[in-house]
Amino acid sequence: MTQGWFAAPAPVARRVRAYFAPVNRAAQTPVLFDASEQGGFSLDAPPSPWMDLGWIENFARKSGSKSAPLLTGIPAATLEQVRSTLEAEVSFEFLSWTKLTMALATGTQHMNLMAPQSGSTAVASGAQALPAVAPQSGSTASSIMLTASDAAQFSAGSLIACDVDYAGQTGFVGSPVAGAYVRQALSDVDYVRRVTFNVALVSSVNGGTLTLATPLPGGAPAAGMKVQALKGFVDREGGTFYQEWSALFVLEGAQGERVFFHYPRLQSMAGAAESLSPLGAKNSGAHQRAALKAQFMALPVTDPLDGERVLCYRSFLPAANALI
Amino acid sequence: MQNAKDSFYGALRSRLTVLNPERTVLLRGVVRPGILVEEAEAPVNQLPSDVFVLRWNGLGVDVGLSSTMAAAECEIVYQTCGTQAFGGLDRGRLLSKMDAEIVALLDPYWTPKLNYTVQPAATMLTKVFWDEPVFAPAVAQRDQIVRSAKVLVYSYQEQGE
Repeated sequence: MTQGWFAAPAPVARRVRAYFAPVNRAAQTPVLFDASEQGGFSLDAPPSPWMDLGWIENFARKSGSKSAPLLTGIPAATLEQVRSTLEAEVSFEFLSWTKLTMALATGTQHMNLMAPQSGSTAVASGAQALPAVAPQSGSTASSIMLTASDAAQFSAGSLIACDVDYAGQTGFVGSPVAGAYVRQALSDVDYVRRVTFNVALVSSVNGGTLTLATPLPGGAPAAGMKVQALKGFVDREGGTFYQEWSALFVLEGAQGERVFFHYPRLQSMAGAAESLSPLGAKNSGAHQRAALKAQFMALPVTDPLDGERVLCYRSFLPAANALI
Repeated sequence: MQNAKDSFYGALRSRLTVLNPERTVLLRGVVRPGILVEEAEAPVNQLPSDVFVLRWNGLGVDVGLSSTMAAAECEIVYQTCGTQAFGGLDRGRLLSKMDAEIVALLDPYWTPKLNYTVQPAATMLTKVFWDEPVFAPAVAQRDQIVRSAKVLVYSYQEQGE
């Protein structure tokens, strides 16, 4: 009779894939991943609100949690151990430069470089921006309706940011993800659009309609949001804001097994840095890939199952027919 | 390892019929997808052009695991002399096309292991998987350009193998 199972050795995998989801900073609510319900998802189409950040390199987890002995007796001997500190770090390298990967690999707020007004004074974090324009009714996450004169500012290939005017508020700002924390009122009406994650590439302009290459992360523009052209991105060494995201890393084994590393709360813990690796032969003129180095500290959540404070969940879905 | 070798070939052949159904070879009077296993065909002095030829080379075994793992090196050899219509001047383009096809054929980097000694072929418990290809430099041989890509193919030994 043929055996219906096999003894699976340790998983072997080629790469690790990263997914991030925004933590609601104001409510301090992370996004949770349940491998029992969601573990079978297509790696190219993660369940909402997880965002695919692609394959990563040099993924490394490091536990810094410490235990201490509880001593008793003469001479003293360890009666029990107690967990004295809870600490964990994650580091890896992103292989692409996008708004999201740059922001995650940056220790503090990550800003959009707005298209400047002609003749405006140079400012390192972006000069005075061209005025924002208001989307018309009927706009969706993938197409922005503008008046014909407003649409004339944009062309295929333009980058846009879509968010509300800054109106003196303090606290977390930006939609759908908090892009910064404002400690005291500012004077820049475009500040929220400078830090927003609600950005997209315009693929075509037809009449007054901007068609976007990918949908706006925040969905259809909400009331009060405006659209503004941007040129690129800028981040700084320094600042007080910490990016905080929920993270999921997936290691898919060659036998179809999956290992999930789920960090409900990850805060970036290092400033912006790049890792250069030569594409081919190591000589002075060779091209080098500049990967974004990312390093995070895990923050605890309380597991409602038993009230324990934890930093990370490692879930394992074995291969079909594998002994457990 | 024979089931793994058969499964690897079967997977690439199936993928080729979808990727480029026009790449075929007339072999022993039958038109087949343009991919063959060298050791399973009659010895020839000259490999056919515009066809992928799988040549099995090295073998390694790791018996220290809960299931023994075998790894075999597959060298995929292919060559072209271009088309008559262009007097062979398009041979570089055709070789590039075959390069791209190899990359596409190997993705995804696994396939179910099948036992082809029974009819119909029986799906086994484990999967065959492989590394990314390592391409060798193209070599000119008379009017042809030849290249090979080496792939390490892995498999866990199952009961009865």
